[in-house]
Amino acid sequence: MDTFSTLKELLRALQMEEKLLSEMFVKRKSLEYRYEYALEMVDHKEEKIQFLLDHSVITKNDDFLELDTQYLEFFENILGVNEEINTSYINENIKNVRDNINYFLNEKNELRKYNYLRYIKNTFKKIGVSTVKNVVDLRRNINTTFKNEPNYKNKKTKLENLDRKRRYILDLIYQTESLISEEEKTFFKSALDEELNLIIIELKRDLIECSHNLIETEKQIIEFLNQIRYQTGFIEKLRKVKYLKDQFIIKDSTNLEEVLRGTNLVTFERQPSYPLKLSLDLLGSDDVFESIKAMAGRIKTQAQIKIPVADTISQDQLDTQIEEEILINLEEVKNKFIAAGNNLFDFLLNYDFLKEVPLAERLTIYCQLISQYENNFEISAHYEIYQDIEYTLVYPKSY
Amino acid sequence: MQQIPKYTAEIFEVLSKGKFLCSNSENDLNRKLYGVLEDESHYELLTSYFEKINFNLEKGDGYFYFSRNESKVNLERKLETAFKWIDILDFFKTYDAAFGSGFRFSIANITVRLNTDADLKSKLKALKKFTKKINHTEAVSKLVEQLLKDNFIELEDEITNSYKVLSSFGYLEELIIAIHIPEDIANEIPE
Repeated sequence: MDTFSTLKELLRALQMEEKLLSEMFVKRKSLEYRYEYALEMVDHKEEKIQFLLDHSVITKNDDFLELDTQYLEFFENILGVNEEINTSYINENIKNVRDNINYFLNEKNELRKYNYLRYIKNTFKKIGVSTVKNVVDLRRNINTTFKNEPNYKNKKTKLENLDRKRRYILDLIYQTESLISEEEKTFFKSALDEELNLIIIELKRDLIECSHNLIETEKQIIEFLNQIRYQTGFIEKLRKVKYLKDQFIIKDSTNLEEVLRGTNLVTFERQPSYPLKLSLDLLGSDDVFESIKAMAGRIKTQAQIKIPVADTISQDQLDTQIEEEILINLEEVKNKFIAAGNNLFDFLLNYDFLKEVPLAERLTIYCQLISQYENNFEISAHYEIYQDIEYTLVYPKSY
Repeated sequence: MQQIPKYTAEIFEVLSKGKFLCSNSENDLNRKLYGVLEDESHYELLTSYFEKINFNLEKGDGYFYFSRNESKVNLERKLETAFKWIDILDFFKTYDAAFGSGFRFSIANITVRLNTDADLKSKLKALKKFTKKINHTEAVSKLVEQLLKDNFIELEDEITNSYKVLSSFGYLEELIIAIHIPEDIANEIPE
């Protein structure tokens, strides 16, 4: 592994690959920066990536590239975007200050003393800055965790961890304060440095502000935790209620009936409808008449008129039946009589009608012929008697 | 006597149907009606006004509703309704523990979850008596309809078909909390 020998070299290297590094920094959360993408960013010059790999700025894992943790943390810290709250850093600083104060007090050489003092001043500055940063980060992290963490148990544990960190930061603030104002009185008396005094005043102000902020943060975290506790508590209760309900023992084992007896919500009732009758006076007015007409037009009778269908004609009735009857044709009888020349009564008495015709019927035919063909006959004034029947002698008319 | 506030008829119309007036309703009129009731003097006045026709105007956390002094329904029906609510509440709380006032969801969200969450799926299956459907989307819609009908949620956006949980949902939660489970019985419930 190569290392950068000077700061200049490091800065130049970072400057050269600025495009790739900033892209990788933006995508640091996804952990999947492919080698091919990186190649495109450096105009397909593999040696450039190799250079960064050699100097451990980035690391390679299969086909993926990652920013080295050291650099990543450095960038995040400087840019103030880290999500981890690192309290050990402050702790270490406090320890360093203590040690250096010791060295300072033990040292007789003025120059070295001055060096120790400078280190102490720097560290105090750092403590101030990082405490403020930690408080701000903490607050932001609490908010994001509460709002964005989808897993319930994790959310709770994370918030509890953040709460622990809050207490830790508070503890560090107290430690720093006691270091400044109680423990090392000798040092502050003997150092007599104007700048140190200014730094201390600044630090004290920062610390006070931080502790005020932390009180507010504490309130918020308690509220968030309470909300979660309420929600999980509620879900636990619901689960139990549902279990009892599914076991059909909820009525006997809980006070559900009592609770329901006590609540008489209208929601439990069936939704009422109020069927009001129409006002008769209103129906008589002209305005309403139009509406009635419109309504009447819309109503169409649903009844269907049924046309009765006749029964089928039976086959018997369709069969033709022939009945023969001999009818007497008066015209023909008349013609034959005219041709015969006998008197009509005797003619009819002996006429062969092709069927049996009784005397009474023959008499009827006699009368019918006379009344129908009176003009063709000559009715004489002589009478004759046949079996009690007195009849007129009728002859054909002679022309 | 003080003047009866405007919108009293509308308030009666909504509440007498067993519906709630919620502070976070999407319906402008309902929000306006809620605003009327929120005024302490109006609230007192209307409470005594509605009392005369046997309705108690009740105030919850962000919602108003009507109740009665004497129940008009039998206990059986109340139990039936309460059981239905427990089942439905259990389903939606399983979908998301944060399901409560102000929560937004769509039927599609839930059906997507059904494909990956076996617990939720089995719960939906157990709710056959309400859903009567095999199809997930239709089954969930049936449950959503129940909540819509009882006025615990509201259709927020017709285009995206997203719903919003109203503050009246708090009533259901309070009902569950009010149920006291004796300790010896609670100990018997498996984890």
